[in-house]
Amino acid sequence: MTPTATRPDGALDGGAVGAPVVRSEGLTKRFRNGQVAVDGIDLEVPRGAVYGFLGPNGSGKTTTIRMLLGLVQATAGRAWLLGEPMPDGGARVLPRVGALVEGPAFQPYLSGRANLERLDAVDASAPRRTSARRIGDALERVGLAAAARKPYRQYSLGMKQRLGLAAALLRPRELLVLDEPTNGLDPQGTREVRHLVRELAGEGATILVSSHLLSEIDQVCTHVGVMRQGRLLVQGPRDALGTADAAQVVVTTEPGSLAQARETFARLGLEETAVDGEVVAARLGAVALADVAPALVAAGVPVLGLEIRRPTLEDLFVELTGQGFDVSG
Amino acid sequence: MSRGEALETGPATVAPAAAATTPAAAAREDAEVRATRGAFGRLLRSELRLVLGRRRTQLLVLLLALVPVLVGTIVRATVDSAFSGQGPGFIERVSGNGLFLVVTALFLCLPLLLPLGVSIAAADAVAGEASAGTLRYLLVVPVGRGRLLAAKAIAALTLVVVAIALVTAAALVTGWVYFGYGDLDLLSGQSVSAAAGFARMLGVAGYVALSLTGLLAVGLFFSTLTEVPIGVIAATVVVSILSNVLDSLPQVEAIHPFLLSHHWFDFAEFLRAEVSWSLLGQGLLVQLAWVAVFGSLAWARFTTADITS
Amino acid sequence: MNRTLLRWTVPAAAAVAVVAAATIPTLASADSPELPDRTPEELAAAVVEAEPVPMSGSAVYTARLGLPEIPAQMTGGADPLNLLSGSSTIRMWTDAEGRSRVSLLGTTSEYSVVTDGPEAWTYASSSHQVVHLTLGPDAQEHLADAEAEHAAAEAAGTLPTPQDLAQQLLERAEEHADVTVGDAVVVAGRAAYQVVVTPTDDGTLVDRVVVAVDGETLVPLSVQVWSTEATNAPALELAYTDVSFSAPSDAALTFSTPSGAEVTEKVVELGDLDAAPEHTGDVPDGVTVSGEGFATVVERSGGDLEALLTGDPAAVADELDHPLGGGPGEELFGDMGGGTELDRAALYEQLTTPVDGGRLLSSTLLSVLVTDDGRILVGAVPGETLLEAAGLA
Ligand SMILES: Nc1ncnc2c1ncn2[C@@H]1O[C@H](COP(=O)(O)OP(=O)(O)O)[C@@H](O)[C@H]1O
Ligand SMILES: [Mg+2]
Repeated sequence: MTPTATRPDGALDGGAVGAPVVRSEGLTKRFRNGQVAVDGIDLEVPRGAVYGFLGPNGSGKTTTIRMLLGLVQATAGRAWLLGEPMPDGGARVLPRVGALVEGPAFQPYLSGRANLERLDAVDASAPRRTSARRIGDALERVGLAAAARKPYRQYSLGMKQRLGLAAALLRPRELLVLDEPTNGLDPQGTREVRHLVRELAGEGATILVSSHLLSEIDQVCTHVGVMRQGRLLVQGPRDALGTADAAQVVVTTEPGSLAQARETFARLGLEETAVDGEVVAARLGAVALADVAPALVAAGVPVLGLEIRRPTLEDLFVELTGQGFDVSG
Repeated sequence: MSRGEALETGPATVAPAAAATTPAAAAREDAEVRATRGAFGRLLRSELRLVLGRRRTQLLVLLLALVPVLVGTIVRATVDSAFSGQGPGFIERVSGNGLFLVVTALFLCLPLLLPLGVSIAAADAVAGEASAGTLRYLLVVPVGRGRLLAAKAIAALTLVVVAIALVTAAALVTGWVYFGYGDLDLLSGQSVSAAAGFARMLGVAGYVALSLTGLLAVGLFFSTLTEVPIGVIAATVVVSILSNVLDSLPQVEAIHPFLLSHHWFDFAEFLRAEVSWSLLGQGLLVQLAWVAVFGSLAWARFTTADITS
Repeated sequence: MNRTLLRWTVPAAAAVAVVAAATIPTLASADSPELPDRTPEELAAAVVEAEPVPMSGSAVYTARLGLPEIPAQMTGGADPLNLLSGSSTIRMWTDAEGRSRVSLLGTTSEYSVVTDGPEAWTYASSSHQVVHLTLGPDAQEHLADAEAEHAAAEAAGTLPTPQDLAQQLLERAEEHADVTVGDAVVVAGRAAYQVVVTPTDDGTLVDRVVVAVDGETLVPLSVQVWSTEATNAPALELAYTDVSFSAPSDAALTFSTPSGAEVTEKVVELGDLDAAPEHTGDVPDGVTVSGEGFATVVERSGGDLEALLTGDPAAVADELDHPLGGGPGEELFGDMGGGTELDRAALYEQLTTPVDGGRLLSSTLLSVLVTDDGRILVGAVPGETLLEAAGLA
């Protein structure tokens, strides 16, 4: 089963070097009740990417992640993390992978810190000497240092999510697999997660982040894979996805100059020009963006604002499937 | 999600953003630190802290330890009444010799309370962790499933041993305070010195603890089958009751010697003039057989199961 | 997938190993060991005339008499009544010089009979009661030393040992049964001859008696009594699981009264002893015997009729205590008079069924009929035979 990838010219090397950090071939999971949760997907997450793993609820994202991490046995197909086959290479490779799977989960009667201590004690390859420091740092990093001694059961949803992230950051990681890290967070929390993801990516880690909320991921990811009903519909660099000429150029000007702006657009060859109040919008098409502003200025149009609107992932998804982004069976 | 200041005091393990390849290298290097020595000991200590540190567990063990205190107090209070010398087990002997409180307490706990404790220990071990969702995080740490199961089995067994040790200690203390120790009259009518009697009581406690290993293995297997701890508790208790029921049916006499609970009350050997070690050994061999079969079943299941919790 | 399957072979292998470990010893003991040839007569005579040897051992006693199981709560611990049904463990020690200890093991209790020459003690741990038996003057006078040694123990209600049971059964075998030697077997880890006793009279419930006799010492190691009514397992089985032919320690053979135990002194008079009439060859008053050998029916009248009618079970037990006829029945029911305080009325109700003119107890080996006019008939025969003998059929 090859995914119905519509990536242009199959380019995947959006700044990536070497072999993909996450790779799968025909990865399939059929649960014992007969449900095919994941249906032959070929994932490829290049090194250094922030890979947005998108799909509606029930599309198979978590099941895929579970297979990648060796929690669930694949019915068919193979998977590699950091070049090691999974699940066989798990003992070697998982110490270099931080993971948040389907929300945080900790012992409710232990404190946040004790929970992290426990996870670190379980880790046979974690240096014991540095345990306390690493735990402190991880808590600090997610902003939980103050609440570290509180029992987990008293944590708010946001704090729980942060502790989950802290667990993923207990050791330096090459790959972070974050399944719905923004679930249950308020807008501020969501922003913070996005910030953290950017920061980690900036430090060189590869990040596979899944979400069913397209807009949350849209702004951070360099690569995108879209799941629907167990199939990977498309994957590739964010910018290369979708119809590239779908971007819109939008200019804000004075009411008197609207007609002139329209004319200029037409001259440049922009299509589907539309006027709305003091705004003129048009599809950029094949026209170079750099040519738009000088042309407007040359035509004497007062440019009060100029912006490029790329299609959102939501638009992309609707375009791909002709359907909305709702729960799949 | 760290705020500005959190970033600045950022962890030393995370390299500055400028050197983009450093963390990857650090991660690889870090993982090179081979399974450090004593890793299993660390895992086990952490499991023990978890199991023994749990409030609910402590409360349960404490309640169990109250059994001998309660029985001792009742015997003490009714020693001159019409009820004196009535009741199950060795209760009529307790007022004469405090040492008998150990056997009495274990005799009273053995049919239901101790199997219940074993069931809870087994249920918490795997199913409890699965239902809390923590199992998936333990496994991606990573930790080998076999190692984790072994650590959990040992921790659960430790809990059972601690519970029995506390019951025994509570019985010894209560018995001594209320009734004192004396020469121990054996079931055959002969008697041994109080010191020998004390040692025999420890033998009783040790044998009872080992007798429960088979049930613990069965419980652990159940624990790997489900994410519902209460289901494991129920199933394990039912197994122990079923075993007792089968043991009382003469129609299935042929299987009696192999039943989980058949040899449970053989701890009474320690109260006979000549302790039949071969009989005790037989009881322990039966437990060993159950441990071998159900322990390996639990292992096979746990190391191949899909963790979907 | 393949690996998953491979993992599951481990518990499968463990299960196979456990089953093998459990069955192979029994299979191995099924192999017939080599022993020098002996004739059936030789063996039977050796058993009957055997001098006791110092030894100790554990034996398992199993009764499949078709009687209801007597719940442990009812007997309150180790009690000879447990011998009526189910399995019991018996341990014995003897120095062959008049001192012995036989213990019936309960789950958390013990019933011991300790004999020291003409004295005997019983101790029931569950009731913490001691019965001390001594011979009365006239008994001492009338009994020879050897008899005196057994008398007290007998009056105490002995617990069966393979030796005693085998001896009793083989004593009357020659006249009324065919004796053959079967394949040698292993009992308690020792090679043993198998003596098979088949009653010639087919009026009895006893199909055959199989006694395993130690190849070396000729001590009976196991006794099986097979019923004509149940052919898949012996109705009564008493077999050593381990024996040692060395002199037991003094500690095992001496009796000291445990502190706080309630002691009942009992003087055994000549009339209390079964041995007396047997040895004098008389039949006591009110007792008639019909039939022969294994099909013997003993009828006894003039018992404590009133007590029987009001269902005083102690009286029934007393009656059952002294039937003649030997065989497993006496051994079995002779013990019913043991000193426990259970609800014997309930037990009586439970064990017997009402018939026209009385109540009948039927087991696979023995029947007991208590008629409304106060007679008791006992025999290793079907219930109908007793009814006929009592004139009720
Ligand atoms: N243990 C399971 N047994 C059977 N079906 C399952 C199980 N877990 C998940 N599924 C099904 O598999 C599909 C994919 O689920 P999941 O991977 O959790 O989706 P997502 O994470 O994308 O929301 C869903 O239809 C879900 O109902
Ligand atoms: Mg999910």
